[in-house]
Amino acid sequence: MRRPSVLIIGSGAGGSVSAWALTAAGFPVMILEKGRNLIPGLGGVAPLGSTFGNDDVKAGRSFENQDPLLEPRTLRSQQDAAIGTERSYIGDVNSLPTTVGGGTVHWDAKCPRLWRQDFKALSSHGPVPGANLADWPISYDDLAPYYDRIEYQMGVQGDITRMPPRTLEQAPRARQFVMPPNPPIYAGLVMSQGAAALGYTAYPFPMAVNSVEGFDGRPRCNSCGFCSGYGCPINARGGAAVSFLHHALRAGAELRSRCFVYRIEMASANRAAGVSYLDADGVSHTVTADIVILAASAMETPRLLLMSANADHPTGLANRSDQVGRNLMFHFFTLGAALFQDDLHAFRGPNTTFVVDDFIGPDTPPEATAAGLPYLKGGILEFGGGIGLFQEASLYSILFPQGGKGHKDLMKASPLRAHLAGFSMVGEDMPQAANRVDLDPGIRDVYGHPVPRVTHSAHAFELAASAYYGPRLAAIGAASPGALASAFIPVGLLAETGPGNPVGSAAAGPASTAHVMGTARMGDDPMTSVVDACSRAHEVDNLYIADGSVFVTAGGFNPTNTIMSLALHMAACIISGDDHPPVAAVPGAVGTPTTSTAPLPVVGMAALGFGAAAALGAARFDHHREVDT
Amino acid sequence: MDIGRRSFIKAAGAVGLLGLLPPGRVLDLLAAPPGPGQAGQFLSADQLDTLRALCWRLVPGPLDGPGLLNPPPGSPDPGAREALCAEAIDILLGAFNFDPPMVHAGGPFSDRHGPTHNDFADFVALDKHAELGWRIRLEGSLGLPEREFAGPVEGLQETYQAGLAHLDATAQSRFGADFKDLSSVQQDLLLTDQSDQQLQGFVGTALSNVFDAIYGPPEYGGNQGLAGWGYTNWDGDVQPQGYTDDQVSTLGASPVPPLHPAAALAAIKLAPGLAGRAASNSSPWAARRPFKRG
Repeated sequence: MRRPSVLIIGSGAGGSVSAWALTAAGFPVMILEKGRNLIPGLGGVAPLGSTFGNDDVKAGRSFENQDPLLEPRTLRSQQDAAIGTERSYIGDVNSLPTTVGGGTVHWDAKCPRLWRQDFKALSSHGPVPGANLADWPISYDDLAPYYDRIEYQMGVQGDITRMPPRTLEQAPRARQFVMPPNPPIYAGLVMSQGAAALGYTAYPFPMAVNSVEGFDGRPRCNSCGFCSGYGCPINARGGAAVSFLHHALRAGAELRSRCFVYRIEMASANRAAGVSYLDADGVSHTVTADIVILAASAMETPRLLLMSANADHPTGLANRSDQVGRNLMFHFFTLGAALFQDDLHAFRGPNTTFVVDDFIGPDTPPEATAAGLPYLKGGILEFGGGIGLFQEASLYSILFPQGGKGHKDLMKASPLRAHLAGFSMVGEDMPQAANRVDLDPGIRDVYGHPVPRVTHSAHAFELAASAYYGPRLAAIGAASPGALASAFIPVGLLAETGPGNPVGSAAAGPASTAHVMGTARMGDDPMTSVVDACSRAHEVDNLYIADGSVFVTAGGFNPTNTIMSLALHMAACIISGDDHPPVAAVPGAVGTPTTSTAPLPVVGMAALGFGAAAALGAARFDHHREVDT
Repeated sequence: MDIGRRSFIKAAGAVGLLGLLPPGRVLDLLAAPPGPGQAGQFLSADQLDTLRALCWRLVPGPLDGPGLLNPPPGSPDPGAREALCAEAIDILLGAFNFDPPMVHAGGPFSDRHGPTHNDFADFVALDKHAELGWRIRLEGSLGLPEREFAGPVEGLQETYQAGLAHLDATAQSRFGADFKDLSSVQQDLLLTDQSDQQLQGFVGTALSNVFDAIYGPPEYGGNQGLAGWGYTNWDGDVQPQGYTDDQVSTLGASPVPPLHPAAALAAIKLAPGLAGRAASNSSPWAARRPFKRG
């Protein structure tokens, strides 16, 4: 049986998982990615290489990240918007990597699952004033088998025997993790003692990092420390490109990189015909397919829907609900640090190896009532990670803006690197209709199209939760053996203070998280949501969304595992034609990854010939009809 | 400065005289940096001398005299002078003299922890899209429509030319000599003058570039002798060796002195800086990477 052809826009977490599952099921798949490929050997038979190194300079030079000079984004607060300010900032807003593999090319690979209560936030805990809270149209139990398959394919490490009872009650698991945890970071061990002293439970953070040699043909992590925010030099970290797209390409999917999609073309009011894109030379093409999947991120997907407005969809494609671009959520991190007498070398290892689930909530302290809120929720707390030399140097420049010996002496004594153990709570933020992505009316990108404009202000919920949980996080630091000082950072308060604050700015809050969600929410009612439980647009029968856009609530958890699992669920719907698909519709037999576990060496780009990667996927599918325009 | 003159300077001072350096020659280039009085990859001899004098104040070393930024007894450790930071900034400004441009070092490994080949020295080619971004960043938008889709952009080359000229002009008007010929105290008096916002913006840019140069991998031209990794007790790039399980999970010995409790209480006040700061396109140097937010 000929399967329908599929076009996927974006090769990040959702796009790569979709490509993998649909290719395995026999669908002809083409992926259009606006970034370039930085992983030599991707999709080939030779070992994967890496263009990434332990290189802080490159990490700050738009190597894998979107270049804000070419593709800026703009930002303003709800207050700015109310007085008609078009934008208050132009530059880097939440720039996830723009490259083959998307954000997972340099993610921290943390893979918690959402909890049962997250899918039923409204019915479980009731409304929050001023928030656009709703239940998801699917449940934890619907999604659990897909989480399981993603985690086994990607190689998520962990230890079910060390997970707290409430976590396993809220997010039950069918089996032990596919591999054991990484060696624990020393600073995390120390802070785990502080947590235990206060009655909290720290356990190994599930993460897509090889703790064993050879899983999926990739090496064991050697704890180099250049992890979150850095591409992996040895491909020990799993992710969209190496764990899914690589196998999709080997199975015949076609990847076209440096292709910027600017419009979804329609065959009729409720059927997409394909997309139009600009190739690397700026030449416009139109390619058709039976199914179109948007997986461009919760920033770019709503932008593309809005840019695809037409006579049948005058306010943007699939936007009759007026929810496209709205309910933008970033997570509301509460950060902190404890300083110790010893050199804890917290920079070594995959950023953090411990997580605490005791601040997820909901909690109903008097502070909630005082803030006019029915309850508070925080999120998972990760701790024990450190900062590197570059972050340290920029921190001290707050005190010494002209550098000099004072700055250098701090670099030598290193109070905020050698002696620091950090902590970070992923705070749940409320969906608000006024927090949104729309098209900037004045600023265009290098392609000549309007850039995404973010309008965002924190809800009282996040501010109150940060103020409530923050001191409790700092107390863990203070209770840790050897701690000399501990403090939490109310990031949101800094974000609200504006550019005059020497340590914060309007862009310190939303602009710098790597979690983007909510801008094309799922739901059963076409009047209040954009896609259904299968991630299919209510108004366009063959248009699907596979990224953080579809989130209804943010939860207090790193979102990528959920983005991937939702994409796999979506693929199961497509493959089975059933809105309640059997999990067997997607690949990944229980207990065994679908790929080789033979160890393969990782070799340098020079030895491999970087050009080899570009030649991959040269075969074209007859099913995708290309129309030169 | 008009486009014609800028183009002339670029052609005569950099590409025209020095020519493109073929790939694989990066290490040779770094082994023979321009000396005092010699032109660099982009900057003229005078400009490079001024930039050196500036960088030596920002990260002083043992040869750099006392002043506000380097009070007695001075710094015993190598600084921007020994690490060749000004020379590295000049290489960045002239990145397009090289093929591939010296913007993104290669990967995955240097030759510092095992491998015999240094991948970092094989810079990664920019494709057309990435090249445009870096041309805009370094050369500016120059009034070209294909570079001004989001408005005019001042390039780093112009920032340095204008900033160095302003530094000398200010030095002349206040002390009657070029910046490089001032005493270290006079230099620091200028650099710390908060009433001169133009100068402070330039110092911010230079400081950010000096940090890249002294604390980044030496393949970019700075951090020679691993100067910046020595006094900070930083291991730098460690692949493909990485760390052993013991090095990750146990305290181990460290050359870093213990932190004094009073110092900890003072330092923790800087913790809010961990929130980071995103960079607007008008002041990219002000960016600070946040503590993990993903």
